[in-house]
Amino acid sequence: MLNRKSIIGSLMVLAMAGTATARAEEILRFATWDTDESLAIQQEIAKKFEEKHPGVKVQVEPYADGYDQKLIAAFGAGNPPDVMYMWNFPQYYTSLKPLDDLIAKGAAEIKPDDFPKGLMNTVRVEGKTYGMPSGFTTQVVFYNKDMFAKAGVEEPKDGWTWDDLRAKAAKFRDEPNKVYGFAVDAKPDPYDFEQFLWSNGTKYISDDGKKIDGYMNSDAAAQVLDMFADMAKTQEAITLNLGDDTSGSTLFKGGKIAMFQSAMWSKSGIDASGIKYGVAPLPKFGDKTAHSALGVSAISIAKDAAHPDLAWEFVKFFSSPEAVAMRVNDLPVRTSVAEEKGMTKDPIYKPFFDILATSNSETHAFLKNANWGKVQDNLARAIEATMIDQGNAKQHLDDAVARSKRLVK
Amino acid sequence: MRKTLLYSALILLSALFIAPFYWTFMTAIKSSAELYQFPPVFWPSEWHWENFAAAWNKQPFGTYLTNSLIVVVLSTIGQLISSSLVAYGFARFRFPGRDPLFILLLATMMIPWDVKMIPLYMEFNLLGWINTLKPLIVPAYFADAFFVFLLRQYIMTVPMEIDEAARMDGANAFDIYWRIHLPLMMPALVLVGTFHFMNAWNDYLGPLIFLNDQSKYTLTLGLSMFKGLHEVDVTSIAAITVILCLPPLALFFVAQRYIMDGAVGSSVKG
Amino acid sequence: MDMTYAAATPAVEKRKRSAFARHIVAYLFISPWILGFLFFTLGPLVFSLTMSFYDWPVVGERSFVGLENYRSMLFEDPQFWESLWITVKFAAIYVPFNIVMSFLLALMLHHITFASGFFRTAFYLPSVISGVALVTIWSWIYSREYGLLNFMLSFVGIDGPNWLGDPNLAIVAIIIASLWGLGGTMLILLTGLKAIPKELYEAATVSGVPGWAQMVFITLPMLGPMLLFTFITSIISAFQQLTIALLLTKGGPLGSTYFFAMYIYDNAFKYFDMGYAAAGSWVMFIIVLLLSLGVMRWSAAWVYYEGEVRQNDGENNA
Repeated sequence: MLNRKSIIGSLMVLAMAGTATARAEEILRFATWDTDESLAIQQEIAKKFEEKHPGVKVQVEPYADGYDQKLIAAFGAGNPPDVMYMWNFPQYYTSLKPLDDLIAKGAAEIKPDDFPKGLMNTVRVEGKTYGMPSGFTTQVVFYNKDMFAKAGVEEPKDGWTWDDLRAKAAKFRDEPNKVYGFAVDAKPDPYDFEQFLWSNGTKYISDDGKKIDGYMNSDAAAQVLDMFADMAKTQEAITLNLGDDTSGSTLFKGGKIAMFQSAMWSKSGIDASGIKYGVAPLPKFGDKTAHSALGVSAISIAKDAAHPDLAWEFVKFFSSPEAVAMRVNDLPVRTSVAEEKGMTKDPIYKPFFDILATSNSETHAFLKNANWGKVQDNLARAIEATMIDQGNAKQHLDDAVARSKRLVK
Repeated sequence: MRKTLLYSALILLSALFIAPFYWTFMTAIKSSAELYQFPPVFWPSEWHWENFAAAWNKQPFGTYLTNSLIVVVLSTIGQLISSSLVAYGFARFRFPGRDPLFILLLATMMIPWDVKMIPLYMEFNLLGWINTLKPLIVPAYFADAFFVFLLRQYIMTVPMEIDEAARMDGANAFDIYWRIHLPLMMPALVLVGTFHFMNAWNDYLGPLIFLNDQSKYTLTLGLSMFKGLHEVDVTSIAAITVILCLPPLALFFVAQRYIMDGAVGSSVKG
Repeated sequence: MDMTYAAATPAVEKRKRSAFARHIVAYLFISPWILGFLFFTLGPLVFSLTMSFYDWPVVGERSFVGLENYRSMLFEDPQFWESLWITVKFAAIYVPFNIVMSFLLALMLHHITFASGFFRTAFYLPSVISGVALVTIWSWIYSREYGLLNFMLSFVGIDGPNWLGDPNLAIVAIIIASLWGLGGTMLILLTGLKAIPKELYEAATVSGVPGWAQMVFITLPMLGPMLLFTFITSIISAFQQLTIALLLTKGGPLGSTYFFAMYIYDNAFKYFDMGYAAAGSWVMFIIVLLLSLGVMRWSAAWVYYEGEVRQNDGENNA
């Protein structure tokens, strides 16, 4: 009995102990959605920052999958982290600190021109800058070199088209062994998916953000969807996310698909699997220019940050060439770092950078309309319906437009 | 003959309930090459026991375990004390406002968490409890509606005559609670303890919202961190899941004996 | 038992005072919950009700809009009715199955002694596994191409369907996955069964009452309070069903598993529209409360409380 009491007692002591530690230091809270290796790298950057700023402790707060939920609770209750990873600027920008003045003041040190213009566009809302880019990715096609060699299929080249991709994919079809040439996603992130509409000469929503009829449901848009549905129908591709959350990268790593369209975030996993692979650019629709979605992660400062000056110091350090170079799981956001590492010439990285040139020309839909989140869900349903139907894209897109009418004014 | 039939049915059914756990275990121990083979690999050719240690060492799981234990043990104690007191109050007394209060108690189970989250966060923030384990422990000392309801239903199956007899003997209300109902409630209390333990052990949202710093994280938060935004570490999820299941399972295996021996109750009632 | 009749002749005055004292004692017993309610529930409750009358983005300007959230939800938002209907369908199947299957399992376990601990643990096993892992397991089972279930079906020559990819099947798949967690309900009923005095059955058997009649006239009535408990808590959990669908199907395919709880969740955490989410929560709260009160009222017809406080016959024992 006494034993049990003492256990409980020591547990209580432990429970109370948490509150009393590290009062003397200044604690900078830094929230991130990253896990695993990327998280470890960020923790290392934080440590470097602590070394340069004695008396400061950077508390790295990884929220992983629960990122938005956690941030909403924290912002809603007025207790946000000082610095945080950010991509969804239209939703959060009113609680973030505009950085334009600070950037202008520190221009000599920061060298804003070192960041590709396309990246800076994604961190701006209504003309103000709310974050510094910390990593980015464009979309590419990974292909399995061994599978190509074994099947005697020629590897993809720059300037290839979707017809080329389909012809190659057809040669890998092996239903009994569940092996396919490519994977199409029934629930793609609509954010990334818009790249195919751009590549086929259309977009989700007019540039003034007021019209979706004739855009989202245009013939060019329907053509894109029908093409993917047809690839599933002819079994040139396996369908992902249709009642199955086996991811494309898992299948690619397992040698079940020969080609896999994805982004930088899949690379380290593929590296670890030991597969021999190559990287090809996104295919074109006929002779139109291929566009890629631009996935940018940035770091921002909360408007009500407890330590605004320190937070800015941290953001500056996080964006410095030194820290950018450390984040090997991201593509470098500084052109100078990318060039120094020879990445713009490396055959694996080159396709990521090449397509950046065309990424300035289009603006993502969520920056154009405040209700985009809800519209996007109707759109996502149309894409899914097309994949289930294996066709009829036009009809499903028309439905999505009809359902969204009240949201787009 | 009837027993044979009964046991055959039970074995078949329980296989359905165990199979997925078996599958989790096998997933944890497989090589990554066998993970997605088709047809599925039911019996791995090599057993990678090191997967468990590898997953455990990917994050500070030792710290998480300590935090989880603190939360689970302290909150379970609170839940058992407070819920049984309140349940006894509702089951054995008539007092003004009892029925409306009981309806109110039931109603608190029906409020979705989504909208309670922000105001609760504000409150704990005001108290300075954010990033401590207190929000996960202290509320358990104020009785949970689910458990109060469960215990109240249980107490109400006990004949009133037992209380009356004790009162005749000069026992006061607390004596009756302590010396008669607590022992009688044992099976139901074990149930409450088990359920609460499991809830607290597997709670994800609470720790996610109220804890900031990895040194305060609990096991479930660690587990969820194997599911990144784009990549899922299936082997580690499976491995940690297996490890996470073991303590509650062992505890449950011991506790369920007490649920079985409702004997205490029936002997007194007879 | 020692019967003392001295206490049975109290003065009227004393009786009044003792009633008052008994009330105080009663409030003392339930005080932990009352305090908890005041500290941790009332505030959030009032807050969320207030929110529901506002256009309340998580960040940015808030403005009072009166009943606008409720109006546009009820009259303009097709998602509201769709998700509510899916949830009602789910509850209508899940609740009876959950209770009946738990009851049957509990009965089986009640009648065995050998290896009973093993079986109890086995059936409770799924309830021990946390949400994240649970969902990973189910997606392996249901996977069209690589799944366990379709692999099993292939042995009997069935080309398994796409369980989670077919809008008609996905909800069935979710119901099955949810029922897999019935271990808790089963344990509650088993505990209830164990608490029924064996003497009742012995007496009935001696009098020649057949087994089915013992079930109808002894087991079911005696188990009434516990059945009522599982009934009400099953309804609540059916309406709050979120984790499995959120992680397993994300509401799809084509919104066929888009539950009401997910609708609230999305408005809060995807669209950042807290006011609208709060309004949805209150609608859900009222529906569940009315259902529960209905069940309570109805239960008076079939629940027998051995230990009811009977002094006042007119009192409704909720």
